[in-house]
Amino acid sequence: MEIDLSVLPSLFVETLGYWWVIIPATVLGIVVGAIPGFSAANTIIILLPLTLSMSAEAGMIFMVAIYTASRLGAGIPAILVNIPGTAGAAATPLDGYPMATSGRGQQALAISFTASVFGGLLTTLMALILIPWLSQVAFHLHSVEMIVVMLFGISLIATISADDTLKGLIAGLFGLMIGYIGADVVYEAPRGTFGFLELYDKVPLIPALVGLFAISEAFVVIERRVVLTENVDSIKVAAGWSATFEGIRETLARWKHVVWTGMLGLVVGVIPGAGAAIASFVAYQQSRIFSKTPELYGTGHIEGLIAPESANNGVTSGTLIPLLIIGVPGGATAAIMAVVLEYHGVQFGPDLFESNPLVGYGPFVAMAITYVLLGLLILPLTRYFSNVLVVPTIYIAPIIIAFTLVGSFVPRAYVFDMGVAIIFGIIGYIARKTGYHVAAILIGVILGPLLENFFLRALRISQGDLTTLFSSNIGNVLWVLLLASLFAGPLKRKLAGR
Amino acid sequence: MSEHPPDPPKNVLPELIIPGLALIFAIYYLTTITEVPWIAQASAVLVSGLLLLSIFAFAIRTAYRLNAGTELISWRGLIPDRILLLKRIVLLCLMIAYVWFLEDLGFTLSTFFFLVLAIMLLSSLANWKKAVGIALAASVIGYIVFIFVFETRFPKGPIERTIEELRDGN
Repeated sequence: MEIDLSVLPSLFVETLGYWWVIIPATVLGIVVGAIPGFSAANTIIILLPLTLSMSAEAGMIFMVAIYTASRLGAGIPAILVNIPGTAGAAATPLDGYPMATSGRGQQALAISFTASVFGGLLTTLMALILIPWLSQVAFHLHSVEMIVVMLFGISLIATISADDTLKGLIAGLFGLMIGYIGADVVYEAPRGTFGFLELYDKVPLIPALVGLFAISEAFVVIERRVVLTENVDSIKVAAGWSATFEGIRETLARWKHVVWTGMLGLVVGVIPGAGAAIASFVAYQQSRIFSKTPELYGTGHIEGLIAPESANNGVTSGTLIPLLIIGVPGGATAAIMAVVLEYHGVQFGPDLFESNPLVGYGPFVAMAITYVLLGLLILPLTRYFSNVLVVPTIYIAPIIIAFTLVGSFVPRAYVFDMGVAIIFGIIGYIARKTGYHVAAILIGVILGPLLENFFLRALRISQGDLTTLFSSNIGNVLWVLLLASLFAGPLKRKLAGR
Repeated sequence: MSEHPPDPPKNVLPELIIPGLALIFAIYYLTTITEVPWIAQASAVLVSGLLLLSIFAFAIRTAYRLNAGTELISWRGLIPDRILLLKRIVLLCLMIAYVWFLEDLGFTLSTFFFLVLAIMLLSSLANWKKAVGIALAASVIGYIVFIFVFETRFPKGPIERTIEELRDGN
């Protein structure tokens, strides 16, 4: 494939034409990001009927803008009330909250937003420039390599993002088995369909993700009276513009710190399952190790706030890279985007950048525009964001359930699919309450049919020779890495215990 | 130096539900592929084999921890809040009823009734006026955004059809 970056300027202009999607999605993203427990993933799911009615390009831009803005919004409750809006902001309170409690909340918010905008923008542009070259890797991945890549992806999610590797593996493999439901593509025999004709065309992905994420989340959320706190007045920030400008100045003065922690986030984001939570903690830890004043970390240190915020925004673009290049989602939100784009008939892979550049490059272009917009929008509004933190669950949970359930009806207009969503909701709820990773289950469900197709193709090409799975050098390296990823953790724990 | 008392054993009964479901499903799935040629069975056999192996390893680990006294399996204390469980079961029934009536009543009406009942359930019947107000606002906004503006494929009932007829001037 010939790499032609001259398409990018026209893509920026074309993407700007979707301002009517980007602006409301950005505002919505900030608000939902600021509500703990109400993730970008859930918002995208609630608005699925809307996204599905848009074109693939508009839908992608809409989802990306929500995702990007919510990542930034998640820092608000982390700083003001010590409760991260999403897992990606889990390291933000370490220095953000002490700043807020010492009367520098407004400044901390400005630092967090500036680091997020600059870190995110820089890594997005970097991903945009690198992705044509990175996509060349996909040309070396044939059926055998793709089988190992997918199993490797599941094992990475199990070992990195799940607290317990075995539970993560069970969740991912269970998801793969669910993904195998449906009529065989070659022999047309129904497998695991429980006799339902509606399942012959495999498990519908949108009801599966509605159930696993939204409905299960609603069941969990009703355990709390409000999503965050009823004590609104105590968390409101009253400060003037000077603190905002001071925060911007302090961050820009540490631009090198923003750059390298953002890049760290980008690299971590590419690894399936690693995600923003890991990236922000890794960046925080590395920032502390290399700091001249490590003793100040945890006391309201500016660099301790910049590192996680810049890194978790770097992840945002990184997580989309494996999805667009090889069709393996890097995390939960990328998995949801994969489901929506698959509904629109988008085929992932290196050809995407030639056949549909607005979908291939579009997410990164939309992200860059969203970051610029966020920079203009969020800093002046910093003072007012603390108001969005209080949401009574008795209202929000039923609304989530009603809108997402109907959303699962929209793609095929089967009432059956709403039943599927409820069943996945129950499975998702049990999984959440017992420590199994719902994102691993969903990614398994998405990858199941793909894995089966690659498997069948590899066996047909090799005329049924199973040793073909070990016939490729790249594949063999990946097998070794897969085994290493599974056994490295337990081995390390055992050695540490001695 | 004072020693910390050992942590009480953790009840792992709920953690066995997902492996149990996965085990049952994997066995059921394997029974449905016995008739297809082996080439079409291979990937399912491999993945279900890995799944069964993981479940087996999980079972061995659990047995080891039960033996060591760090974990236990017990029905006691499994449901910490019975009222919340009851609310969740009623909410599930409301969801099933919502799905059941959606095609006949349409999106707007069934969403309104579902939201009123669900909000009243979760607020322990505390504020029916607020429940009606929020349900009305959410279903009307939902109708305007999803059906009227974006014309998404939401189920249509008497309200949607009446408005459509009025709009078309019939």
